[in-house]
Amino acid sequence: MDREELELFGKGLRHATANHTGEALDAALAELGWRDALAADPRAVVPLLFELQGAANATSSALDDVVLAALDTAPTTAVGVVLPSLGRWDAPGRVEGEELAVSGVGSAGLRRRAAAVVVARTGDGHVAAIVETRRLVLREVGGIDPAFGMVEVAAGRVRRRERAPAPSTAWPDALAAGQLAVGHELLGAARQMLWLACDHARERIQFGRPIASFQAVRHRLADTRVAVDAAEAALAAAWDDGSPLTAALAKALAGRGAGAARRHCQQVLAGIGFTSEHPFHRYVRRTLVLDGLLGDARSLTRRLGDDLLGGRRLPAILPL
Amino acid sequence: MELDAFRTSLDGWLDEHAAALAPGHAGAGTLDDHMAQLAKVKRLAYDAGWMRWGWPERVGGLGGSTLLRAYLAEALTLRDLVDPGLYSMTEVLAPTIIDYAPPGLAAAMVPRLLRGDETWCQGFSEPGTGSNLAALSCRATRTADGWRVSGQKIWTSLAQYAQRCVLLTRTGPTASDHRGITALFVDMASPGITVRPIVAMHGREEFCEVFFDDVAVPLDRTLGEVGQGWSVAMDLLPVERSTALWQRGAFLHRRLEQLLAAAPPGTLAPDEVGEVFGQVYALRARSRATQHRLAAGQRLGPETSVDKILLATAEQAVFDLVAAALGDAILAGDDAGSERWRAEFLYSRAATIYGGSAEVQRNIVARRLLDLGADR
Repeated sequence: MDREELELFGKGLRHATANHTGEALDAALAELGWRDALAADPRAVVPLLFELQGAANATSSALDDVVLAALDTAPTTAVGVVLPSLGRWDAPGRVEGEELAVSGVGSAGLRRRAAAVVVARTGDGHVAAIVETRRLVLREVGGIDPAFGMVEVAAGRVRRRERAPAPSTAWPDALAAGQLAVGHELLGAARQMLWLACDHARERIQFGRPIASFQAVRHRLADTRVAVDAAEAALAAAWDDGSPLTAALAKALAGRGAGAARRHCQQVLAGIGFTSEHPFHRYVRRTLVLDGLLGDARSLTRRLGDDLLGGRRLPAILPL
Repeated sequence: MELDAFRTSLDGWLDEHAAALAPGHAGAGTLDDHMAQLAKVKRLAYDAGWMRWGWPERVGGLGGSTLLRAYLAEALTLRDLVDPGLYSMTEVLAPTIIDYAPPGLAAAMVPRLLRGDETWCQGFSEPGTGSNLAALSCRATRTADGWRVSGQKIWTSLAQYAQRCVLLTRTGPTASDHRGITALFVDMASPGITVRPIVAMHGREEFCEVFFDDVAVPLDRTLGEVGQGWSVAMDLLPVERSTALWQRGAFLHRRLEQLLAAAPPGTLAPDEVGEVFGQVYALRARSRATQHRLAAGQRLGPETSVDKILLATAEQAVFDLVAAALGDAILAGDDAGSERWRAEFLYSRAATIYGGSAEVQRNIVARRLLDLGADR
């Protein structure tokens, strides 16, 4: 996409995410040509959409599209995808004979789609299977963020409709694509929390001056900015690099950035940020769930540490 | 030359000349040893052309992207050929002279620094002005043919080795703050200059006090306009946080890897290793973006405070892990390896102090990046 097309598309996305969520946002995205844009220029449009979606606290099925595209399955309105359960990043299915055991989560739109792609582990690799959605046992997840509309996918065993061996890189690539998308959504939400807190700090007067003039407040917000900028840099670097390792690092750092934003911005917003009328709590809820989606920062970090300790060396990544 | 070609041919040259480039000293080495090593490496790299890439042709450079300089610094650091802190003075001071010295002076002086024939120092901090740089009081008074400088500087790195100093002086009224500052390029051999090294906590005399007693400085050694020294300083500080930080990030990466190899079994927890590596990586990702912005000709500004905060955080995290995993070496080891870990651990305590303290950096982020207004 050239600059002009991208600007126009971005404008459309801004309007769509600001005004719609859920099914309505899916419809708006379809109208804007989101899936074509994703196929044409993922590097430009994935950060754009997911950061806007995070900032607006909106939901959509766009993550399904991103993961499906990475699995070389053309995204359509008819097919969704089953994602690993919160905190996990291994493939959500397991092949057992002629059957498929599935356990994971899906976006709110999953029940509206006739079929779902389930990547499943076999003895020595992965297969991608298509499963009729009505065969899956779906539970609407309330939890800490009911507005997210996540569904839990718990099916004992289903017979797969078709099953194709997936190339050995298919799941790591799909995971990396999903982690980047969720990372950008976390980044958008974290930036929005920071914006809310800075705005409040400039307006709120105590002891005769804006609380933004107190160093204890400023330093919390500065630390948030640093954590958010670190996440942004790691996400951009992961797009340059294209490896599963840097995508996981970026997801972990985006989770950390959102964590810093939750902690510091909550404190700066103080009483008003603790009410349900202020939008802040929605971002707290959303970023906690997004952190868990496709691997939370803590688990990803520990796994990374395990790998580094196992090899006793560091990967030479991200050349100049 | 393009970065990829530069990388390949430089790596080849470094391998080929490994013996000639290797440190001449045994063990941990003294500061004198490290300075001698730095001068040797710079001379060899300059004569072979590497040290000239990325610098403008008008000062003896070969042109090309600043990324070439960043890669050279990284490659020398990853091979443990130079101490990154000592090397970084070149990256910090040469751009200032290129941008602000009269063209003839820059053309004559910069090659001497690049080739390792000279060491330069940076006279900014004073006993009364640490974080509050704009309150400096080292006075320069106009005479018929130049300036007379009297006052004191402190924390001046490598002043005892330096032939020249980029010096900030007060030329306006005492309370003129950032408006009344002028930058000068001073010969350290000038009569009236006394240098007194300070033994720092990590055992090295890396920093000095420098006393100026009616020191004559020619007028053509004025950097930039009279009274505009603050902008010289403000342009220097972001540079200090660009190429030099990329090199320091490479140093942290290398030392963390060496820690993984050196730590006795069971002394490192996976979550800590992952966490610290994540911090080193975050610095690398951020600094990489900054190198590319610099190479694209963008002006670096207050956003580089984010880089500095990430560096300070990562450096202390790495060496906290070192202290935890190599406690015996840090506390009681007297071999060269232990001495080096210990000196680096102690030096890392200053990462949140030097080059703009952690607090000043956060104030810059709050005011300039978050638009939170003044802090009083």
